Amino acid sequence: MTATTEAPASQPIADMEADSLIGTFAEGQRLVGSQCNACGCTMIGSRVVCSSCISRDVSRVALPSTGVLYSFTRIHVGTAGIRPLGYVDLDNGVRTLADIREGDVPLRPDMRVELGIDDDDWFFAPAAGEKREA
Amino acid sequence: MSDNVFVISAAMIPFGKHRTSSYVGLAVSPLIDAIRDAGIEKSDIDAVYVGHSYGGMMTGQRICKEIGLGTIPTVNVDNACSSGATAIHEAWQAISQGLIDIAVVIGVEKLTQFGGGTLPLSPEDREVKQGIIMPAVYAMRATRYLHETDATPEDLALVSVKARKHGALNPFAQFRQETTVEEVLNARRVADPLTLPMCCPTGDGAAVVVLASERARKRLDSKPGIRVAASVLHSGHVAEGFRDMIKPEISYDSARDAYAMAGIGPKDLDMIELHDAFSIAELIYYEAFGLAEPGHGVDLIRDGKTTFGGDVVVNPSGGLLSKGHPVGASGVAQVAEAFWQLTDQAGARQIDKARWAMTHVTGGGTAGLDHGACTIHIFEAA
Ligand SMILES: [Zn+2]
Repeated sequence: MTATTEAPASQPIADMEADSLIGTFAEGQRLVGSQCNACGCTMIGSRVVCSSCISRDVSRVALPSTGVLYSFTRIHVGTAGIRPLGYVDLDNGVRTLADIREGDVPLRPDMRVELGIDDDDWFFAPAAGEKREA
Repeated sequence: MSDNVFVISAAMIPFGKHRTSSYVGLAVSPLIDAIRDAGIEKSDIDAVYVGHSYGGMMTGQRICKEIGLGTIPTVNVDNACSSGATAIHEAWQAISQGLIDIAVVIGVEKLTQFGGGTLPLSPEDREVKQGIIMPAVYAMRATRYLHETDATPEDLALVSVKARKHGALNPFAQFRQETTVEEVLNARRVADPLTLPMCCPTGDGAAVVVLASERARKRLDSKPGIRVAASVLHSGHVAEGFRDMIKPEISYDSARDAYAMAGIGPKDLDMIELHDAFSIAELIYYEAFGLAEPGHGVDLIRDGKTTFGGDVVVNPSGGLLSKGHPVGASGVAQVAEAFWQLTDQAGARQIDKARWAMTHVTGGGTAGLDHGACTIHIFEAA
């Protein structure tokens, strides 16, 4: 046998292990994000690969619990009853889809929202200080 | 330099709920009709491209074997709602590069297999796990559009009213009844501000076109058909942060490239078949295609500029909202409509002296992307 090199095996990513977008950090319960240590790109969820520079040097980080409601809808079809859903632009620029909880303050795009947690459910709701009238 | 490519025939079944037909049962009749109308034999066909999203393994081969069409390459293409148009793009590429002369393109889908409800999306997607559905994506576009412009829910309803008016003239359409703004606004709510008639129906369908090189067209002495002036396919690009949901870059960029390839602009178009899966989409795409400035697409629907007698007839077939949207079939059905309009075979919905047509489909609900795919074609009467 002559000496030869052997192609390394690529390994699968166990991306089905971490399904929850909520996690416990020093700050408390926060949305889970990932930050690339090579280029600084921040992403929603537990990631192994940076979608910008494809570095695998990515750290799990807590995402901000406040942001701006970009848009929203109330879903009337399906089994969940009326379900408000929206896109929230977090204060560090990361966008996430989120359940939105409606209270006394009517929802409108560009309003400030903050993360809320009820047992296993997480959602965004109008931030304290958002007025009844825009 | 690429060779000219022509669509030399088109056929389709009326879209609707064809519960007793399989994928094969949906596609075989238009396949035979398109071959016959093209004046070709089975032995003339160099390749078959088949767009579908939910047909399962070897859908194209299952269809083609029923008419004894085999040996030649059969390519199954999935790009969600862009599957059929992507199949046309692939056929166009092969012919325009001189690799083959004649291709058959089939678009087929059977959505009644799911027994109702919204379109099944990939359960592996992060936002799908969170509960996103396609109506909610478009509803959020609509909420934002109403927030940034002076458009109202009445304007969203006007798009559905126009679609139903056009569909009433089209024997291939799933919905052939006209409607009113009041009916649309008072209908069942799906995802605010969208009501049921602002959403395309689910159904089944199949459409087939035959593409040929200039050389083959001359050899066959076939009817003139229509020339493919542009064929463009783009994919979505991820945004981890902000995305402007009412200025979808994938459709803006595809339109820009298609106009450049065709050497024409929006003012030259006589008709457009665009991806009106939900009524809000039509207003956004008026802007993406340069028919109106951003924020002013709504003026066109209010002023009747996009119906018969207007500047450009948008969705003369009734569009996805009225004709129906069997996902993989839609892109091919749009090209069939362009073919009939540009060859003066569109009956009651014929656009007078139509010369230039554009077709546009996007596709896919995927976290971080506007759409997964976007296909635009421009055609010129030959
Ligand atoms: Zn990076």
